[in-house]
Amino acid sequence: MLKLDNVDVAIQSVQILRRVSLELPTGTMAGLIGRNGAGKTTLMKSVMGILKVSSGTISFDGADLLASPTFKRTSMGIGYMPEDRRLIPDLTCEENLLLPAWAAKQADGAARLERVYRLIPELRGFASRKGSQLSGGQQKMVAIGRALMCGDKLLLLDEPFEGVAPALAHRLVEVVANLKREGMTVILSESDLQHSERMVDRLLVIDRGTLTAR
Amino acid sequence: MRPDRTPLTLLLIGAAILAVGPFAPQWTLFLLTVALAKGLVVLGLMMLLRCGLVSFGQALYYCLGAYAAGMLGRLYEVSGVFTLMLAGMATSAFVAFVLGFLLARYRSIFFGLLSLAISMILYGLLVKTEALGSSDGFNVLPSTLFGWRPADEWVRYSVLAVAAGVAVIAALAVHRYLGTPLGRLAPAIKDNEIRVEYMGASARQAVHVKYVIAAALAGLGGALAATTVGHIDPEMAYWTTSGEFIFITILAGTGSVIAPFLGALIFGIIQTVAFDISPNTWQMVLGASLLAVIVFLPRGLWSLFRRRKAA
Repeated sequence: MLKLDNVDVAIQSVQILRRVSLELPTGTMAGLIGRNGAGKTTLMKSVMGILKVSSGTISFDGADLLASPTFKRTSMGIGYMPEDRRLIPDLTCEENLLLPAWAAKQADGAARLERVYRLIPELRGFASRKGSQLSGGQQKMVAIGRALMCGDKLLLLDEPFEGVAPALAHRLVEVVANLKREGMTVILSESDLQHSERMVDRLLVIDRGTLTAR
Repeated sequence: MRPDRTPLTLLLIGAAILAVGPFAPQWTLFLLTVALAKGLVVLGLMMLLRCGLVSFGQALYYCLGAYAAGMLGRLYEVSGVFTLMLAGMATSAFVAFVLGFLLARYRSIFFGLLSLAISMILYGLLVKTEALGSSDGFNVLPSTLFGWRPADEWVRYSVLAVAAGVAVIAALAVHRYLGTPLGRLAPAIKDNEIRVEYMGASARQAVHVKYVIAAALAGLGGALAATTVGHIDPEMAYWTTSGEFIFITILAGTGSVIAPFLGALIFGIIQTVAFDISPNTWQMVLGASLLAVIVFLPRGLWSLFRRRKAA
C-alpha cells in the first residue's frame, strides 16, 4: 500500500503540494488528473524522492520512503516514467530497457527483461534500434518498459499518453490496462480523462497542489 | 553485432612497440614512454569525461604518483619499477577516495575548479617544502626490474617495454570496465543524473568510483613519468600540466581506450617538432593544432577511425 500523509512540497519557497494525503491499496490503478501546473509531476517526483518533502510522511508497504534516497526506492519495486521519456539516444531500445538492471545491479535483469517483453511484445520488434530512431510513441513504450524493469510493485506513469498518435495511444492504454491484471499498483497522470477514465479504479483530482479523491 | 577488436588491437600495438623498440632511436623511445605515461592520465580523464565531468586538476594525482615513487627511492632506496608504480597508483587512489567524498557532490564548473584548487594546494605545499627540493624537485633513483638493472643502452627500451605492458593492461582493464554495468552508466550519468537515480543507482557513488579509478591511473602515469624522466618537481601539479592533459583528451576524443595514447603521442610529436622549429613560439603551434581539431574533428582524432569504419 502507498500512503501519503499530509505531504507538503515546496520548490524554491513556492508551495506546490499542500497537505496531500492518500492511501492506495495494492493492485489499485489510480488516475491523477489535473491541469498543467496543478502538481501531478511534483507528487510523483516526491514519491520517487526526486523532490524533497518539507513535511508529512510517505510510506510504501509499511516502509518509510522518506528515509531512503531515490536509488534505493527503486529496489522496493517502484518504477517511474517521467513525462519527457528521457531515453538515451545512442543506446538501443534493449540497452535503454536494461539500464535499470545495470544501475541497480539486478541479478535477475534478464528475467525482468523477459517480463517486460511479455507485457509489451512490440518492444522486441525494435530492440536493436537506437533510441533516437524511435517515434515519440515508441519511445513512450520503451520508457514504460524501462519503468517496469524496476517497478514490479508500484508504477508511476507521468502523462503516458501525452503527444502520442491516437492509434499508438490506444495501444498504450491496452498496455497500461494489462498492468492492472498483473496486480500492480499504478498511478498515471493525465491532464484530462481522455484515456484513463475507463481503466482506473480511483480518480485523484489535483488542483493547485491539493488532492481531492473522486 | 560487430566483434570487439579493441583488445586484439591493443595487444598488437603493444607487440609492435616491443618489436620495433630495439631498432628505434633513443629519443623516440623516450617520447613514446612519456606519451604512454600521459596516456594513462588521459585514460582516466576520458572515463570522467564520458560522465560529463572535466577535471582541471588531474595533475594532482599525476604529481602525487610521481612523488610517491620518487620518495620511496629517496627515503627507502626502493628502485623496483613495479613497486614504484604500485606505490604511485595506491597513493593517488587513496587521496582520491578521501577527496572523492567532497568532489563527487559537485558537477560542471564547480567540480573542475575544485579539483584545480586542490592540485594548486599540492603545488604550493611542494614549492614550500625544502626537504623535497622546493621548486627544483629532486632526482629519482634509477629504476630496476626485479632487482636487475639493464645496460645503459637498454635502459630506455626496458622502461618503454614496461610502460607498454602497463599501458596495455590498464587500457584492457578500463575497456572491460566500460563494458560492465557501472561503466555503461556513464552516458546516462552525463545525460541526466536524476534518471540514473530513479533507475536504481546512486550517481554520486558511481562518480566517486570513476574518480578513484581515474586518479589511480593518473598516479600510475605519474610514477611511470618519474622513472622515465628521472626527475620530479612541483610543476607536475601545476595547472598547466592539468591543462595539458585536458588538451590531449580533447585532441584524442573519448571514442576508445586506445585514443588517449594516440592523443598523447600526437601531442608529444607536435610539441617536439614545434619546439625544434620555433623554440619561442611553439605554444602557438600547439594552440593552432588544438583549434584545428576542435573545428574539424570535434570528437577528436579517434573520430577519424570511426569515420573510416562507418564508410
